[in-house]
Amino acid sequence: MTDSLEALRGEVLERIQQANSVKELEQLRVEALGRSGSLTLLLRGLKDLPAEERPRMGERLNQLRRELELELDGHLATVNQEAKAKALAEEKIDITLPGTRFERGHSHPLTLVIDEIVEIFSTMGFEIARGPDIEDDDHNFEALNIPKDHPARDMQDTFFVAGGNLLRTHTSPVQIRTMESRKPPLQVIVPGAVYRHDDDATHSPMFHQVEGFMVDSNIAFSDLKGVLTHVLRQIFHRDAGVRFRPSFFPFTEPSAEIDIQCVICGGGGTLRNGQVCRVCKASGWLEILGAGMIDPAVFKFVGYDPEEFTGFAFGMGVERIAMLKYGIDDIRLFFQNDLRFLRQFN
Amino acid sequence: MKFTLNWLKEFVDFAGSAEELSKLLTMAGLEVESLASVAEPEGGGQDWLFEIGVTPNRGDCLGLLGIAKEVCALTGAKLRFPAVQASKKDPAIGKRIAIKIEDLDQCARYSARIVDNLTIGPAPAWMRFRLESCGIRAINNIVDATNYVMLETGQPLHAFDLAKLSAKQINVRSAGATGQFTTLDGVERELVHEDLLICDGTTPVALAGVMGGLNSEVSATTQSILLESANFAPATIRRTAKRLALHSEASHRFERGVDPEGTFRALDRAVQLIVDSAGGQASSGSADCYPKKIAAIKITLRQARIAKLLGIAIELKRAETLLRSLGLKTTRQAKQLNVVVPTSRPDLTREIDLIEELARLHGYDNIPTTLPLLRPTGGAMDYRLASERKLRNFFTGAGLVEAINLPFIAEALNELFTGLWQGEPGAVPLVNPLAKEFGAMRRSLLPGLVDNLRVNLAQRTASFHAYHLGKVFRRGADGGTEERLCVGAIMHGPPALHGLRGADQAPLDFLQCKGVVEGLLELFGVQNLVSWRPLASAVLHPGRSAELTLDGAPLGLLGQLHPDVAERLEVPQVYVFELDFEKVHQYAPRRMTMRPLGKFPAIERDFAIVVERDFAARRIIDWIDGLADPLIEFVRVFDQYIGAPIPEGKKSLAYKISYRAEDRTLTDGEVNPLHQSVIDRIGNDFGAQRRS
Ligand SMILES: [Zn+2]
Repeated sequence: MTDSLEALRGEVLERIQQANSVKELEQLRVEALGRSGSLTLLLRGLKDLPAEERPRMGERLNQLRRELELELDGHLATVNQEAKAKALAEEKIDITLPGTRFERGHSHPLTLVIDEIVEIFSTMGFEIARGPDIEDDDHNFEALNIPKDHPARDMQDTFFVAGGNLLRTHTSPVQIRTMESRKPPLQVIVPGAVYRHDDDATHSPMFHQVEGFMVDSNIAFSDLKGVLTHVLRQIFHRDAGVRFRPSFFPFTEPSAEIDIQCVICGGGGTLRNGQVCRVCKASGWLEILGAGMIDPAVFKFVGYDPEEFTGFAFGMGVERIAMLKYGIDDIRLFFQNDLRFLRQFN
Repeated sequence: MKFTLNWLKEFVDFAGSAEELSKLLTMAGLEVESLASVAEPEGGGQDWLFEIGVTPNRGDCLGLLGIAKEVCALTGAKLRFPAVQASKKDPAIGKRIAIKIEDLDQCARYSARIVDNLTIGPAPAWMRFRLESCGIRAINNIVDATNYVMLETGQPLHAFDLAKLSAKQINVRSAGATGQFTTLDGVERELVHEDLLICDGTTPVALAGVMGGLNSEVSATTQSILLESANFAPATIRRTAKRLALHSEASHRFERGVDPEGTFRALDRAVQLIVDSAGGQASSGSADCYPKKIAAIKITLRQARIAKLLGIAIELKRAETLLRSLGLKTTRQAKQLNVVVPTSRPDLTREIDLIEELARLHGYDNIPTTLPLLRPTGGAMDYRLASERKLRNFFTGAGLVEAINLPFIAEALNELFTGLWQGEPGAVPLVNPLAKEFGAMRRSLLPGLVDNLRVNLAQRTASFHAYHLGKVFRRGADGGTEERLCVGAIMHGPPALHGLRGADQAPLDFLQCKGVVEGLLELFGVQNLVSWRPLASAVLHPGRSAELTLDGAPLGLLGQLHPDVAERLEVPQVYVFELDFEKVHQYAPRRMTMRPLGKFPAIERDFAIVVERDFAARRIIDWIDGLADPLIEFVRVFDQYIGAPIPEGKKSLAYKISYRAEDRTLTDGEVNPLHQSVIDRIGNDFGAQRRS
């Protein structure tokens, strides 16, 4: 019996090793360990043995049973794993194929720039104010120290609407409206559309401005320089040179034009290929902001005491900033709304 | 204002290069807009042509003299003026010409000289070169000399042919009822009462400060001239020049203010140049009518005020030096300066004007950079900005691009697209549009979006989904104007899909467009406040359009563009919508509160009914909502079917009801009878047949 037991063990173990499918292994389990399997048959033969040999032989048979079951289970796991690996390998796809998705929408580049500017001022505690596009002469001109029959009006050619009002030529009227209804301290920005009566390759009859102002009991020109230098460096993401030079606006005094070092040529005035930079006309500087200390005449109009309060105001053209930031060379592209243009901005 | 470097150097020494001068002037507020090398004629040397953008407050810099004074102030150099033989007041000239000013507010001063026995001819080459470099056409040795001296001094001059002044009596007066006047360019001008005229007796001979008259023009046969050097009121000159669109070198300067003390400096210099090139004899004396001398302005400048405004302390001693370099007179008194401003600087009238001059001359670069005390706004969160950002993010996710359009529109389109304000009162026309097709302010955002579609169709785009968040305008009931922030959208073609070719996408339909609007309303939490009604509108498809109302007032519209309108606008089938965004924002709840999650499972039951084709599916939902049964969680319609075996003219609608209790798990025994009773009552109330 010992011999047949050893023979069975050798045979089954060999067959387990050779089996390479779940089905084969299960069949082997039935053949070897099942109700009428080889091992069961040997167990039945126990009764023919002498009584004193039965326990030892029985123990050996059980040992063999455990060994074979363990072996079967182990191999079954291996075979299972291989089968799974094979199935997974067959499910492999070409990951270089394009993903499936609907085309996203896009915000307009002017919105992106306005948002960025608003964000920069928000972190400094500025709040947003808005006003009407159709304004009266008082708020657009008179209150801002631009009287009728003054040449300063030539700086802003105006659209008039029936009834005597006009399309605001700048966002500054909102400065007046805000000051008329509130008292300092104020730190406010005003994004919005403005209108000028001209239309050519470099001008659009509508464009956008972000106006801003700050009024308190102790605001100086040096503060204007500090705030706007910070803002410009944020907008253009670089330690660009910033320069302030005297200018004239009827509603500010002293007034300044603020230039940044040209973002195209880096301020040298010439491009890498040696050509003259057309964007800054070789000057190395780009005019980007108009600003100044709010004129006492403006304070008087809104009922502030210019002896008590001082403040600065500034305005910047959103289209110009967007053109410089994104390298856009024609202002009309902003308002044609060509998908090929709009989809480039995120 | 243009000038050349060599010319400027006749008034002031400048040792540096043209580029250095350019930078110096730009940083002092006289922005050099262009700088070019030019060659002088007749073997002359090299020269530099400067063009300066003179701001409207600096009329004094519309002459070389003013610019030279700036250079002196900036470099410490000395000003010089070409030597001229000064004229004296001479009563004898009164026998040849009399001068009278009717209104001193219109003309503060009128000075004049006479030159006889002239030979008219071309001006010398050097003079013509400089004039033409500066953009002024050379005419003859008389006119050129007046223009040349105007560029030097900023004082406009005018030469009359003395023989053509028969009355020999200059009278400066308002036009009154004069009517017409022909200027020397040969154009007959319609005058208004307020225009200022120079008359010879009663005959107008010049439009004061703007242009001379044809009737007294210097010609090739002129022998004697009367040379005028006067001072006219800026506003008067500006009104006339602007109304007649007659912008001349003279009017440009008078509008910005000319020094009343400078009439003779210019007059005597011009007479000398004329005699040099045209021969003749100048009258030794001059006529001058200046009854009320314009006084110099006195200003007090406080030291403390300088520091408060500039953020830097400038010592009074330094302030004095700077102001004196501009030709201002100063005296120190305790902590302030008493300043006297010459009449050549009419822009300096207030303390702040002097502080600006100090900042300018001290150099903006030398003022420190500081940060003010920045205060948190303390105000409420900007909900409007938050709402706009939310809206834009929504559209970006929904696949719509943002368009921005100009608000100008043709009146015909405004009548067609009346926008959200139905009917009256009307649009806001522009008085001076750029073109007729941009004659009014838009009442609706949709025509602009249709234009954008056309632009993109020309690029063969298969689909175009875009929105515009912008204002619309109308005339209000009170005659004023109203503006409102709206959101408009246009959807053409199926949403653009990236990736491999899948099943063909179904064409865009009404429900997809409605889905975008529903999503928007849900985003702002107002979906349950909005009701939908079929809409009768001239611009939308009568069977595929809806009107939205919120709280009983119009909120917006959506639908397919009417095929007739699409044909007229030359676009294919397209869906649009337009909503009053201010109203959406206004009704959007400011706070969100969580609803408890149901702890017990829901039981869902479906049913289908057959109804007339034009039965509104929503009616069943409203009816079930009206039951307010605490066990009904929600009901929704999930299918519509038309076709066999449903009879002709009918349709099948399928609904799902969700039943849920807050405090227990519902059983079939509880739900089944309830569901059955709901179906039975729907059958009764709506005559709807249940479909198994
Ligand atoms: Zn450059």
